[in-house]
Amino acid sequence: MSSKQVDTSGFGAYAGPVLRNDEGAFIFEIADHHLNADERLHGGMMMTLASIVLGSVAKETAAEKAPGATVRPLSLNCDFVSAGEKGDTVEGRAEVTRATRTVLFISGELRVGTRMLMTATGVYAIKGPDET
Amino acid sequence: MGPMFEREENGARIFGFFADERHLDENGAVHEGMLMTFADAFLGSAAHRGAGGRSCVTLSLQASFLAEARAGDFIECRTRIDKTTRAIIFVSASFSVGGEDVMTATSLWKVLGER
Repeated sequence: MSSKQVDTSGFGAYAGPVLRNDEGAFIFEIADHHLNADERLHGGMMMTLASIVLGSVAKETAAEKAPGATVRPLSLNCDFVSAGEKGDTVEGRAEVTRATRTVLFISGELRVGTRMLMTATGVYAIKGPDET
Repeated sequence: MGPMFEREENGARIFGFFADERHLDENGAVHEGMLMTFADAFLGSAAHRGAGGRSCVTLSLQASFLAEARAGDFIECRTRIDKTTRAIIFVSASFSVGGEDVMTATSLWKVLGER
């Protein structure tokens, strides 16, 4: 299976590298610098990863509707279902629940194999290429 | 992430940090994941105090993004304990820059070892 690296420039680089396989899933391996003091995947890191997964799907959906359009997060809700350990390979997926002209509802999850780490929902505003 | 600042005002814990280049997304605004990472740290610290110093883990955190923050901004976080039960702490917070809210957050924390 082929995979390509997801653009995580700026702050997102701390959460990386994040890969994307040809099924559209986001793949992330938990390393030392992602851990908290309890040697578990850091909560902020997990939410950053969720924001990358949901944000990427939102951005793609907006760009399909109008070339050059971008998105801005309005709300992100993250539920911490279980903890991530060093060496775990996390798989992230997200889908569009509803798309209106100006707003996207995205729902996603992070899991390790069959174990759910996080469920997340986000609401994104669509900004056209001519808007600031 | 840091440095981070912390003080108390009328019994409420107030935290703060300076946003810098490391915290930005590709559009030059502070990354929402960064803001939520600070929220996890600050609201978690408030929950820990609300639980009388016992350890807490995040169950759920919801953030609303009201405005964008930029590099150089001093972001202040005011936390509030909404409810404390034996096993669960409810914490909310607002993040502001120069008096204008940039993010609000609500969260649920589990006190470890309690049921």
